[in-house]
Amino acid sequence: MQDLLTRFQPLEIRGHARGGQGMVTAFEILAKSICRSGNYFVQSFPFFGVERTGAPVVGFIRISKTPILNRSNIYKPHLVVVFDEGLISQVNVFEGLNPEGSILINTNRSAENFSTNAKNIFTLHATGISLKYGLGSKALPIVNAAMMGAVTKVIGGSLENLIQDIEKYVPSKPKENGFSAKESYHVVKWLESTKEIIPSVRKTTGNGNSTVPLVPSWNKPMTANKTGSWRVFRPVYEEKNAPCTMNCPAGTDVRKFIKQVSERDFESAWQTIQEHNPFPSICGRVCPHFCQQNCNRKGFDGGVNIGAIERFVGDYGIINTPDVKPIQYAEKIAVVGAGPAGLTAALRLRKQGYSVTVYEASDFAGGMMQTCIPLFRLPEEILSQEIHLIQKQGVKIVCRKKVNVEELKDQYNAILVSIGLQKSSKMNITNEEFCTDGLQFLRDVKYKHNLSEYKHKKIAVIGGGNTAIDVARTLLRLGAVPVIYYRRTEKEMPAIREEIEEAKEEGIAMEFLTAPVAVEKEKSSFVVTQTMTNVSGEIEKEKLKSLKMIRMTQGKKDESGRFSSYPLAGTEYSVYPDRIITAIGQKPDAYVFGREIDRNEILNNQGLLSTNPVILCCGDLAGGGTITEAIGSGNKAATRTHKLLRSENNVPVSTNNGKQNDWVKPEKINFNYYSFAKRNENPKQHLYNYLNDFREIAGKLLQPEIVDESNRCLHCGDCFDCGNCYNYCPDAAISFNGKKTLKINYDYCKGCGICVIECPCGYISFKKEEGERDGEVETGLKPVCTVIRN
Amino acid sequence: MTEVQPIQVIKGNTAAAVAAKLCRVKYIPAYPITPQTTIIEEIASMIAKKEMDANMVNMESEHSVFSAALGSSMTGARTFTATSGQGLFYAHEVLHAIAHFRQPIVICNVGRPSIPWNIWADQSDSLSQRDTGWLQFYGESSQEILDSIIQGYKIAEKLSLPVMVVSDAFYQSHTSENVNVPEQELVDSYLPQRKISENTIQVESPKSFGGLVPPEIYDRFNKLHWEAMNIAEEETIQAGKEFSKIFGREYGAVEAVNINQNTKTILVALSTITTTIRGVLAKYPEVGLLKIRLFRPFPVISITEIMKSVSPECRMITIDRNYMGEKEGCVHQEMKRALYGKNFPIYDVYAGVGGKDVPPETIERIINFDFGQNVDPVWIDI
Repeated sequence: MQDLLTRFQPLEIRGHARGGQGMVTAFEILAKSICRSGNYFVQSFPFFGVERTGAPVVGFIRISKTPILNRSNIYKPHLVVVFDEGLISQVNVFEGLNPEGSILINTNRSAENFSTNAKNIFTLHATGISLKYGLGSKALPIVNAAMMGAVTKVIGGSLENLIQDIEKYVPSKPKENGFSAKESYHVVKWLESTKEIIPSVRKTTGNGNSTVPLVPSWNKPMTANKTGSWRVFRPVYEEKNAPCTMNCPAGTDVRKFIKQVSERDFESAWQTIQEHNPFPSICGRVCPHFCQQNCNRKGFDGGVNIGAIERFVGDYGIINTPDVKPIQYAEKIAVVGAGPAGLTAALRLRKQGYSVTVYEASDFAGGMMQTCIPLFRLPEEILSQEIHLIQKQGVKIVCRKKVNVEELKDQYNAILVSIGLQKSSKMNITNEEFCTDGLQFLRDVKYKHNLSEYKHKKIAVIGGGNTAIDVARTLLRLGAVPVIYYRRTEKEMPAIREEIEEAKEEGIAMEFLTAPVAVEKEKSSFVVTQTMTNVSGEIEKEKLKSLKMIRMTQGKKDESGRFSSYPLAGTEYSVYPDRIITAIGQKPDAYVFGREIDRNEILNNQGLLSTNPVILCCGDLAGGGTITEAIGSGNKAATRTHKLLRSENNVPVSTNNGKQNDWVKPEKINFNYYSFAKRNENPKQHLYNYLNDFREIAGKLLQPEIVDESNRCLHCGDCFDCGNCYNYCPDAAISFNGKKTLKINYDYCKGCGICVIECPCGYISFKKEEGERDGEVETGLKPVCTVIRN
Repeated sequence: MTEVQPIQVIKGNTAAAVAAKLCRVKYIPAYPITPQTTIIEEIASMIAKKEMDANMVNMESEHSVFSAALGSSMTGARTFTATSGQGLFYAHEVLHAIAHFRQPIVICNVGRPSIPWNIWADQSDSLSQRDTGWLQFYGESSQEILDSIIQGYKIAEKLSLPVMVVSDAFYQSHTSENVNVPEQELVDSYLPQRKISENTIQVESPKSFGGLVPPEIYDRFNKLHWEAMNIAEEETIQAGKEFSKIFGREYGAVEAVNINQNTKTILVALSTITTTIRGVLAKYPEVGLLKIRLFRPFPVISITEIMKSVSPECRMITIDRNYMGEKEGCVHQEMKRALYGKNFPIYDVYAGVGGKDVPPETIERIINFDFGQNVDPVWIDI
């Protein structure tokens, strides 16, 4: 077949596409390329209706060797180009086609499938080719480069020029668009129709004898125009996960209880927290608040003080008397270790209907909360009251009983091991026996042992975690002079940020990038006199002389994202403390297992050591290291134990509550709709003298401040009936009838996406129409809000 | 234009934006409105890419756009903007102010009507501003839009009068076609920097502008404006001649195609419809085309000159893509005035209003229409 460019003067092309498919741009580029390749006069223009994305659009190209003396639309095209075969049933795309004319259709079907009046039918699977080169997404393939390649082939244009022009003018992916055009140029299929061609009758301009009313109006209400059919993307109300909730290791629905607080429904807020966490009063004080660390308000005017709110709610509900649930299962459960993980798991299982006994080796229940969190962070009565609440709900706690699994095996169907990590790790340096274990020190202080021996002493505290900070702050209160030595920088310290700040405010000295190398001892002799026998003698004893340190420097980031540190040769120096306390990490007491156990064995089995009877580890033993992680671990262990006992499948336990990272990010929040509101900080006690003063440092916020703070919540991903979508919808397609009744009428929603942008909290998703394929709009593809000036 | 020149293929709206750049416009207050929006988008893009050295300010309305344009022009800055339909109507008050403060602002208006609601080609917006004291040019091609803006500044600055260059919505504004974009040096040589006069705001010699003008002297200001308007047609022709020397493309106030003593019918038209008429003329040797390029002031001198050669029986048919609330359309009214005292039979046709397509067939229907004794305008294709 002879090229269309040679056969027709002027050559007239008409294109049919949907708004957003890029036909108008394609025709412009085609016009440029054709003009350049053959000194042609060209004319390319669209006909736009009032519709936008998704609505049928028509485009025209005229090509001639002589000046084009016609500026009207094209009614008798020599070539019809169909960008979307779905249009064939909606628009008479073949209308007026020249009897010798051709059509080009984007389809993966063969030409025989099309009933048309065209002499030549060209087909091309432009969608497939475009996707192959990554142009657009499955939901919205950008087919225009492929179509340009095919048109160029059909009319006999220059592929080389086309590719140059495509690379010059397409807004993105020039190479891929060029490849797509090139492949299309070569693979476009041609079928010459053998059917008799019935010339298409073209519609004349004008509307015949139709009349119009006096006032511009239509005999139908505007509602008859169901503009929803133009929609390509659909806004959908969809609750999303909030970062606070998703980052709470205990699984607390943080957003929900904050909302309840803002409605002054403190009782419900307490119940909401209790569903996952039996220790709100404690966590409100000592949890690192992963919720707060990820609050979307952080980058705006400071994250919501969730800790203070939780503490308030916890203190509010601490006097409650919850119901005791009846025992409904015969299986008995033992929990070893009455720390946060064990107590949480015990409570869950007890509420489920199991008889649960908790064994605790020490004098009091509470684990680390009891022994190692200093009083100035957690007052004793708060801890005992929350534990008492658990007992009130039917959990038996047996203290001063150190047990191991062997002795429990016969009595219990399930044993949960939550003994924590009670033993301090070793530094493996010479004369380490001269160092005191940080945890032991904290325990001693709690039980009021040896309190006076630290007064006026210089103490070196080795480590950068919470224990190190707690040790140093406790020492300060005992009248000692602590210095923290940490091998990395302050930024890398694993301790809770607020605690570090408080320690600094209290004047605790910290030295960074330094590590102990050796403890040096010296002999000291002193005279001992036996009064009864009046015999005196000289006793020789070894004592601490100095602590040899070395300066460290930072290397690359390790797997944990922290910088590794390594010693600088020749920078050794000595310090001369009276005592050294180490707080560099902990390990479990293997007594409970009756054998030495490698912690990796526990971690690798996700804590499950046996199924008959069930022996399941939780708490610090199974990973984590903070109180909330322990609580979350307890919750999971309870669920798992229940499933195992009820012979449900051993469902692997994920380490996160939901999909990793699946929460509303700050970029989905429209901060224009939130006003600045100063964060309500906990009042701090600034003591004149810390000596022997173990009063709580962080003060509480009062009810009005708590409600005020809860009102700072952005409601990430949860509708709070602000009505923005209702107000801004240009098609009045959203109805609102009081609380939580917003509804989109998809008969009229054009999918402009204004509601999506104006929604403050990211509650509205924007999805490809027809519920198909890619789900939510890919990043970078913003809602198109094109409106005609009214 | 029979020979293809080194060209670019650009849209009418791009041509307008490129013209503003070539004229080294310094200030563009802007407000978007379909179908003009891509003009200011193109300008914004060129400024962002540092291809154009100008300040662009996005205003809150067209009234403000034109007020800002007035202010900037009074400081001596070459000022440009673009608008359309409702935008131009909204600026109506300030159009008078600009003309009578004698500011040489050039704008591009992409014509669209008002109510019934419509965004397509129609000249009722600009034609209803014909009495605001502005010069008006109607362009037929992207090339002519570009060239007219360049010539527009030349004439505007010579006469201290504002110029409105009008293009048809979509048929021109959104049509990509061959355009010869001139070299910057050539434009610079044709259009030197704007001269600062004693009428420009200068901080060193403070003056008051816009005070009350009492009855005794009011007429003098009008007369000065009138005198400038009276020579505008000659200046247009002069500017066109100078332009052709540098750029090789010639423009007058009007263009006569196939008009001579044998012509039996003359179609009078503006803008894109004239192109389609040109195409039809090949089939009708006795039909001529009178293209009105300068509409305000109406080019009576040029028309009178052309009509001298025409036989008195020759029919005149004006084509009006506007409805002005009068029996005859705007072009017809003006033509009748221009032909006053002459006895050419003259008819009027309303065609293409609200963007209705005017294909060659419609032009032929107009040519072949039997007007008989009917003196009322005809609504074609209705």
